[in-house]
Amino acid sequence: MDSLKKNFSLTLRFVSRIEESLLCFLLSAMILLACVQIFLRFFFSTGFAWAEPLLRYMVLWAGLFGAAVATKKGKHISIDIISHLLPDRFNPWLQVLLNLFSTVVGSGLTYAAIKFVRDEAYYGGRGLLDIPSWGLNLVFPLAFGIITLRFFILACKYLGLAFSQPRTSSNG
Amino acid sequence: MGLGKVFIFLLAILGTPLFIVIAALALLSFYAIEIDLSVVIIEMSRLADTPLLLTLPLFIFAGTLLAESGTPRRLLRLSQVLLGWMPGGLAVVSLMVCAVFTAFTGASGVTIFALGGLLYPALIKDGYGERFSLGLITSSGSLGLLFPPSLPLILYGVIAETRVDQLFLAGIIPGILMVILLTAYSMVKGPVRSPEASPKATFKDMLSALREAAWELPLPVIVLGGIYGGFFVAGEAAAVTALYVLIVEVLIYRDISITRLPKIMVQSMVLFGGILVVLAASMATTNYLIDQQVPMRLFEIIQEYISSKYTFLLLLNIFLLIVGSMLDIFSALVLVVPIIIPIAEAYGINLTHLGIIFLTNLQIGYCTPPVGLNLFLASYRFDKSVVTLYRATLPFLALLMITLIIITYFPIVSLVLVNLRG
Repeated sequence: MDSLKKNFSLTLRFVSRIEESLLCFLLSAMILLACVQIFLRFFFSTGFAWAEPLLRYMVLWAGLFGAAVATKKGKHISIDIISHLLPDRFNPWLQVLLNLFSTVVGSGLTYAAIKFVRDEAYYGGRGLLDIPSWGLNLVFPLAFGIITLRFFILACKYLGLAFSQPRTSSNG
Repeated sequence: MGLGKVFIFLLAILGTPLFIVIAALALLSFYAIEIDLSVVIIEMSRLADTPLLLTLPLFIFAGTLLAESGTPRRLLRLSQVLLGWMPGGLAVVSLMVCAVFTAFTGASGVTIFALGGLLYPALIKDGYGERFSLGLITSSGSLGLLFPPSLPLILYGVIAETRVDQLFLAGIIPGILMVILLTAYSMVKGPVRSPEASPKATFKDMLSALREAAWELPLPVIVLGGIYGGFFVAGEAAAVTALYVLIVEVLIYRDISITRLPKIMVQSMVLFGGILVVLAASMATTNYLIDQQVPMRLFEIIQEYISSKYTFLLLLNIFLLIVGSMLDIFSALVLVVPIIIPIAEAYGINLTHLGIIFLTNLQIGYCTPPVGLNLFLASYRFDKSVVTLYRATLPFLALLMITLIIITYFPIVSLVLVNLRG
């Protein structure tokens, strides 16, 4: 059991590493590619025809993987008007509820994304640079899958917290 | 179905990530009308057809770099040396610096955190009242949203499919108007100082401050000159800005070491990701709402009671102020703009003008009680109760409301520069 847990957390750390490297790479590549395009146009009145569509997909990849990391860091935009009115000891339970709900919705999105990519693989053609269009859209199931997994892990974490906190009242 | 939506709404105000809330509504709605759920992702994938989207991550990165570097300090010193001699000088300096800084970083609270910490003690030391200083910083925290290359302006352009170069132009005069009004108020409220309290900056000081900030001063020129000189489109201007800021802050000023760079890159992509998923999720719900003709039905209901465009704008202002005090600016734009646009078009309102109205409202909403975000940020940053901040911000709020009325009812203020360029 312990080694399973260790392997699991190692895998998670590995995923984080890859994500963060991917984000740095995508951002640098977007800046460079866009600047090279300007340079080519200015001095040689030319440019790569594939650069602009590729840039737009890179934006999508960077954004969705950014969102995956945001899930880990709890940095998603939320409204949160009334949760601070609740007493502190309810907070872990509230977090369990919210993260479980997010897990369910995330699963729905992942399911829809897998279906979408499968349809693209059957019927979609080849996109830019001869990359099949399902490959360009692979980011949706990947990112939503990671996001869902992270919400689930958060839910479990808060569940553990909720049970381990000292009880102040007996009506549970 | 109805019950499910109530449940989702409840979870939303308890703090569920907004994109999950919107996605849940989209999935539920399409499921109810028996349309294959992959349509949600098909709608999201349409974001890859939006060239303007590239500007968001690049400007966010440039803004984060600027916020993490010594730019706030240099900018502050320069404006203090140049403007500090005026009556209410430091207050005017604060306004200008906050406006410029917010334009480049977006109103993500960075201004209050990065600049507020420098400005507040300086204001108090200079003899400004505590309440005045708090109000000034809180309301300046979102000042500058109307100036290019402000991210919310770009996001409005993405959602409304409006030309972003025109939006940039349209924001300039309304933004200046706000700064002027607040400046005048600060001059009146500024402390009467004895001349020796702060020595007048010498010519030498000015020169050294100018030289210190020499690399940062060309930034607005690169953005504006690049776009309006016809050299780049918005996305390219963002790339050039990002590259320029990267070189200046990392290689020339060396404020940021190369080893810190990956962290800052990830941080800015996390910020961008948070905005992108909300935008993506809302692509699907918007499609559903338009498909069900919700905006048109809303318009018919509204038109039964309101025939005048001006009454509609008044109601819109009230509505947006409430929205702005509850939601942060990015989610407010993503959620509200797609529904309002068809209605506003039916009333014959210019979409560029509408964008400026939106942003002005949302900017004011940031400092509007009870839940304006800036109030909480400032309360946290300066360790004051939120009620203190409510009171401190009130006079500034009143002034901003005046500009809001002018901006709303005199479209020419927003559109004159756009029309001039043809």
